[in-house]
Amino acid sequence: MENTFYPSNQEASEQVKIFVDHQILDEFDTLDTSGFCLVSENEAKVSVLKRGNRLWVNFPDGEHCDFPFYYKNLTTILEGMKSDIKVRSLMGEAFDGFIKSTQGIEKKVFSQVSLNPGENVKDLWDEIIKKVNLISSESHSLRSLLEKLLDVPFLQKFESSLIVLHLKGQTKAELLGIIWRIEKTQSLIEVKDFNIFFNSIKKSKIKSFSSEAFSRLNLPFNGSFLAKEVMSKKYSMVAIVSRHDFLNYSKEEIELFETCIDLLQPHFERLIEQEFSDKRISELRVCLKDFPLPLRIRDTVTGASFMNDLYTGELQEKDIFFNKKVQGPFTIDLYDSDELRHYAFDLFHFQRISLLGELLNTLRHELSNPLFGLKLGSQLFSMMEVPVDSKELMAEIEKNINRCQLIIENFSNLYQVQTELRPVSIKKIIDEAIVLSKSESREVRKNVQYLNETENELLNVPLIFVVQIIFNLIVNASQAMRGQQENQRLDIIIEKEGSFLQIGIHDNGPGISGDQVTQLFKPFFTTKPQGTGLGLLLSRNLAIKMGGNLEYLVNNTEKGAHFRLTLPLS
Amino acid sequence: MKHILIIEDEILIQQSLKKLFERKGFIVDVSASGKIAIDLILNNQYDRIICDLMLQDISGFDVIEESKRKFSPEELSHKFVIMTAYNSPQVLSRANAYKCRLLNKPFEDLEEAMRIMTE
Repeated sequence: MENTFYPSNQEASEQVKIFVDHQILDEFDTLDTSGFCLVSENEAKVSVLKRGNRLWVNFPDGEHCDFPFYYKNLTTILEGMKSDIKVRSLMGEAFDGFIKSTQGIEKKVFSQVSLNPGENVKDLWDEIIKKVNLISSESHSLRSLLEKLLDVPFLQKFESSLIVLHLKGQTKAELLGIIWRIEKTQSLIEVKDFNIFFNSIKKSKIKSFSSEAFSRLNLPFNGSFLAKEVMSKKYSMVAIVSRHDFLNYSKEEIELFETCIDLLQPHFERLIEQEFSDKRISELRVCLKDFPLPLRIRDTVTGASFMNDLYTGELQEKDIFFNKKVQGPFTIDLYDSDELRHYAFDLFHFQRISLLGELLNTLRHELSNPLFGLKLGSQLFSMMEVPVDSKELMAEIEKNINRCQLIIENFSNLYQVQTELRPVSIKKIIDEAIVLSKSESREVRKNVQYLNETENELLNVPLIFVVQIIFNLIVNASQAMRGQQENQRLDIIIEKEGSFLQIGIHDNGPGISGDQVTQLFKPFFTTKPQGTGLGLLLSRNLAIKMGGNLEYLVNNTEKGAHFRLTLPLS
Repeated sequence: MKHILIIEDEILIQQSLKKLFERKGFIVDVSASGKIAIDLILNNQYDRIICDLMLQDISGFDVIEESKRKFSPEELSHKFVIMTAYNSPQVLSRANAYKCRLLNKPFEDLEEAMRIMTE
């Protein structure tokens, strides 16, 4: 390669004008800069700066190259520079001097970390064992164990302590620990890559490796490291320590490290089990939290059990899981009081519901095209010269087509997950719920009253949630009044109460008797032969989710059932 | 502008649109098949092609792709009006790539839709 700045015929004495950040010079106190001409930043052809943890080498053409920078890996940086053709060609022979100057440092580093064989080995051993015992009793998490591991006498010059852990059955392995003695690190690793890594460590006799050899793991440091594999029934693990340099580890260091990990293995096992258990408990909590049925999950091994808020049986058991580990396998119980036991856990019901959603979507697509054709056809007819009564008939047909389209639209909206919230007027919600419930409430006279011009009040809630609740209430009321000789009447009264909107739904049916009132929002409570007993429960859960509530108003003076839905105004 | 091709496999929609356009004085050809439509496009001079996306044999986008043999991208974007009941983001971005006008089925307002299709 052509050397722009240092043509080969030039004298070596003509040194590279280089600027080296004083921070670097301070840290590398043994640095031999005789191969360079140190100048101020303005005069320098090449400047070497420290930026964060990187060493930056800036070239006159505006380009730069950078290397990881830290005290003990100067060798690395220089090796890197050596292999970088650009640096080499720019720095020419002066570079070799730079390299030579590092040998002193290498010696210095090595003397700090290496053991002198035979010297105080026994003392060191005793100290290591003492320390390991101390670590294990003080550590309450995997990370604190890894952090304290670096306090073990021979590891005090190490920068990183990590484990790569694969719990059997999990789809990812996890790398966690600390780098630079303080910085936490955590990442996920594909199981395939973990297995390759684990086997390489297992087969290796020297137990000293280079991070470059396992680039797929993205280890959070560069350099060589010591590793030791541990395998148990539930997990495979590789423990790693590194000084973040490229020096080889001494035989003693390797032996000490292996022994250390062997000594710590039971403690690793204990902490892994504990963290694994914590993780599963928190996952279980999340799963159960929004589950609409009272449910209890019981660990068949440890007997720990965990239940959601809806589960009201045997409350004292709620505490049990706090003291126990979760290992699985699990049994799942539905609320198991005698009264409710005969309601089997109806998985089919949920399958039917989700199938219904898919079906509605298909129906929407399949019906909307022919409906559109019918609409165009009727519009075409109404433009033609036809008798007036035919025109009226056409208008009626078109109206019905529009209604079909609206119903399909509304039903399929019910099954769509709404991602963004737009303010929606209460009138639109009520109108939509009435259209949807028309077939169930055909004989019911509906009277909607918006008190104090509440018609245009806006709610910042998912339209479908509210429509679903009101739909439920209208259908319930209509079914309760069915067959009633007197006028079947439903009053929907909307009024404002502070920053809330109250929607009162009153029917004049038989009402709800006192002992039924207490059961009303309990799961599986139903008075209908075909009912699931979930409608009111789900409605109330939805209302609470939106920051509102759904209550039954006990009223002795008026006939019928009175519900009140409260929702926050936007 | 006189000559329109309507590609639509729902016969009721196809025929209604044909009559609606004829009432406005256009000459209208129709096709329920995308493949036949391609032949028609290559062998006739249409001023406007109104094309449904979900056809029985091939998709409306295939018809547009094939028409590239005859029309420049500018002509394509001018001549084609896409009709669809499935306005998913993928459909929208593809239609945008052709810079074609896009009409959602069912039409909200027939007069407005007719205006867009013929302007």
